[in-house]
Amino acid sequence: MKLPNQTAHDSCPPEVTRREFIKDGSVAILALAGAPLTGTGNTADTNAPASGTDGATDYKGQSPPVNLGLIGCGPWGRELLKTASMLPNAPVVAVCDTYPAALKRAATLAPEAKQYENYRDLLADSKVEGVVVATPSHMHRDIVLDAIKARKHVYCEAPLAANIEDARAIAKAAKETVKVNFQAGLQNRADRQVLNLASFMRTGVLGRPIKSRQQYHKKQSWRAAAPTPERQKEVNWRLDQAISPGLVGEIGIHQIDLVNWFFMLRPTAVTGFGSLRQWRDGRTVPDNVVAIFEYPGGLFLTYEATLGSSFDGELNLFFGSDCAVMLRDRRAWMFQEIDAPQLGWEINAIKEQFYKSTGIVLAAGYSKAMPNQTAKPAEVPQDPKSPLQYALEAFVINSYNHQAAIRDFTSAYDPSDTNALKQYLDEIAKMRVPAPGWAEGYEATVAALKANQAVAGNQRITIEPAVFELG
Amino acid sequence: MRTRTTPTTKLKLWLAFALTVWVCDLFGAETLRYVAKPGGAKVTIEGTSTVHDWITEGKIIGGSFEVEPSFRTDLTLKSVQSLHGKAPPPNVEVFIPVTSLKSTVLAGREKMDEVMREAMRATENPRITYKLTSMTLKDPVPESGSPAKFNTKGQLQVAGVTNTIEMEVTMERLEGDRLKFSGKKALKMTDFKIAPPAPRLAMGFIKTGDEVTIRFEWIVGLSTAP
Repeated sequence: MKLPNQTAHDSCPPEVTRREFIKDGSVAILALAGAPLTGTGNTADTNAPASGTDGATDYKGQSPPVNLGLIGCGPWGRELLKTASMLPNAPVVAVCDTYPAALKRAATLAPEAKQYENYRDLLADSKVEGVVVATPSHMHRDIVLDAIKARKHVYCEAPLAANIEDARAIAKAAKETVKVNFQAGLQNRADRQVLNLASFMRTGVLGRPIKSRQQYHKKQSWRAAAPTPERQKEVNWRLDQAISPGLVGEIGIHQIDLVNWFFMLRPTAVTGFGSLRQWRDGRTVPDNVVAIFEYPGGLFLTYEATLGSSFDGELNLFFGSDCAVMLRDRRAWMFQEIDAPQLGWEINAIKEQFYKSTGIVLAAGYSKAMPNQTAKPAEVPQDPKSPLQYALEAFVINSYNHQAAIRDFTSAYDPSDTNALKQYLDEIAKMRVPAPGWAEGYEATVAALKANQAVAGNQRITIEPAVFELG
Repeated sequence: MRTRTTPTTKLKLWLAFALTVWVCDLFGAETLRYVAKPGGAKVTIEGTSTVHDWITEGKIIGGSFEVEPSFRTDLTLKSVQSLHGKAPPPNVEVFIPVTSLKSTVLAGREKMDEVMREAMRATENPRITYKLTSMTLKDPVPESGSPAKFNTKGQLQVAGVTNTIEMEVTMERLEGDRLKFSGKKALKMTDFKIAPPAPRLAMGFIKTGDEVTIRFEWIVGLSTAP
C-alpha cells in the first residue's frame, strides 16, 4: 500500500545507502544518537502517517515529560531551573525554599510552578513525579529519604551528603526502593563528551596508568552576601568547617570521580593539606587544599584546589606509559609517547600545540567525520549541550522509562511479585541513558569526604574497603 | 407472613438451579484459566533499512488463555473439542505494552525507541493487542504433550488499526503447569497505517523497510485464583 506524500520527489534529499553510511559513519551515528529526527509538517491527525513531502518522516523522537519539583532555590538550584527550562520534557511544576526571596527569584524562571516553603508539602503534591534536590549538602538526608518514601524520582546533587553516615542512608534507601529512579548529581557521568573519553580511556590507550593530577584554580571568595547575619550564616554554609564538605568535597568530587570511573578503582588512602591563604574573613574552611590519593597498584592522584589564584583554571591529567590525556573545559587531548603503539587514525586527527607537546584532539563524533583537516582550534565544534543539560535529560528519560517499566510489568503480571519486578527493572536498567546512580554517587561521596577529613586534619587517612559497601 | 412452597414453585427452583449449574459448567467453573507469567516472555520485531537491519525487543507479554479442562489431562489434545472446531475456540487475549519495546542498537537507542512509539501512536494506543478467533490443532501431538502446533487466526491491533492475521503457533508444556506459546509473523507497517520511519540526516535520510517480522515467546501459568 502506498502512503500519501511518499512518492519520490525530484528535489528530495537522497536516501542514505549502506555504503554511504559506513563511509560517513561518525556523522550518521552522531545523527542517530542525538540529532533531531524531524522534518516539516505536523502529526496532529493521529491516524495519518507522519511523513513529509520528500519521503522523510516527521517523527520527533521526543521522550514524554516528567513533572519536576525543585527543592533548594539558591544559585545552583536556579542554574538547574534554567537548564530544565531548556529541555522540552522537564516541566518544573513546583519549587521549594525556606527563604521567600529565593522563591521569588525562582518564580521568574518558572512562573507556572507552584511555590512551597516546606519541602514536605511539595512532596505531597501529586503532580510532582521527580524532585531535584539542590539544598546545602548537610540538608540532603531528610529531604531525599522523604522523597524516596513519597515515591518521587530523585536527582540529588553531589556530594550526596556532608557526612558518610547520611550518604550511606541515602544510597541504601535508593537501592532498596526499586520503584524510584535515583540519580546522583555527578553530571560528568552523563556528559556525552566525557562519556566518549571514558570509553576511550577504558580501551587501555594510556598503556600502564601511572598517575593523575587534577586542579581547580579560581580566585573567588565563595562567600555570598545576605541582608541579615542569620541569613549570612545560612547561605555561607560552605565556609563552616562543621557542616561543609570543603573545596575537595563540593568541587573536587566531580574531578576525583573521573579517576575512580576511568580506572575503575577505589582509593585506599588519602593524605590532605589545607590552609587559609587568601580569604581570612572568619571562615573555618581552607581556601587552599592539596589531597594525594593512593590507589591499588601504586597509582596516585594529586588533587589541588585554591580560591586564591585563577591561573590555569580547571585541569584533569591522566598519565600512562603510552600517552597522557588532558581534559579541560570538556575538551580532551592525547599526548603520545614516542614509543607508543600507533592507533592508526592519528594521522587524520586534529592536533593542537601545547608548548613543546602536540595534543591529538579527542572529541565525540568528530575525529572521523572530517578527515584530512589541518587543525585550527576554532574548527573543533563545541557541544551545544551543557553537562547539566545531559544530566537532567538523562534523569527525565530514565525516570519516565522507569515508571513506564513498572506500569508495563504490573499491568501484565502479578503486581505483588516484587522479586520478578526487581529482576525486570534490573534488566531495563542496562538500557538506561548513561547517568550515575546511587552506587556511583555514594562511592564518589566517600572518596571526597575522606579527602576533606584529611585536609581538615592535615593527615593521612586509610580508606577501608568496607566503607564503600552499604552493609 | 410465611409463604407456602407449592410443587410448581419447587419445580421452578430446581430448573433454575440446574440451569445455573449448566451455565457455570460452560462459562466459568469448568474452564481452565492460564495467565501470563513473568520470566521467559520475549517479543522481537525485526526490520530493515537502507543502512542496516534493526531489532526491537520486549520482555512483557500479558494476557490470558482459557480452555476446557481436558486440555490439562489429555496431553495429546485429542479430546479437546475447542481445538478441533467442535466447540468455540479457547478464549485468548494477549497484549504487549508499546513502552516495553526497546531497540537493541547501542548508539541512539532512546531516540529510536521514541520514534517507534510515535510511529505506533503509543499515546493513544499504548498496547499492541491480539484476540484469538480460531485455533485448530495442526499435527498430532506426542504423548509428552510437546510440541503442539496450531493454526490460528485472530485480530491483531497495532497503533489502533486492527487486522486479521493467520499464524502457526507452537505450544510447549513447561513444568509447574506452565505453557510456552511461540510463533512468528511477517507484517507490513503500512497495513497498520504506520509510516515506516525515514529520519533525516545531514547527508539525506535513512529509510526503513515496510516489512517487519514479529517473533514471540509467551509464557502462561495455570491461575490459582478462584
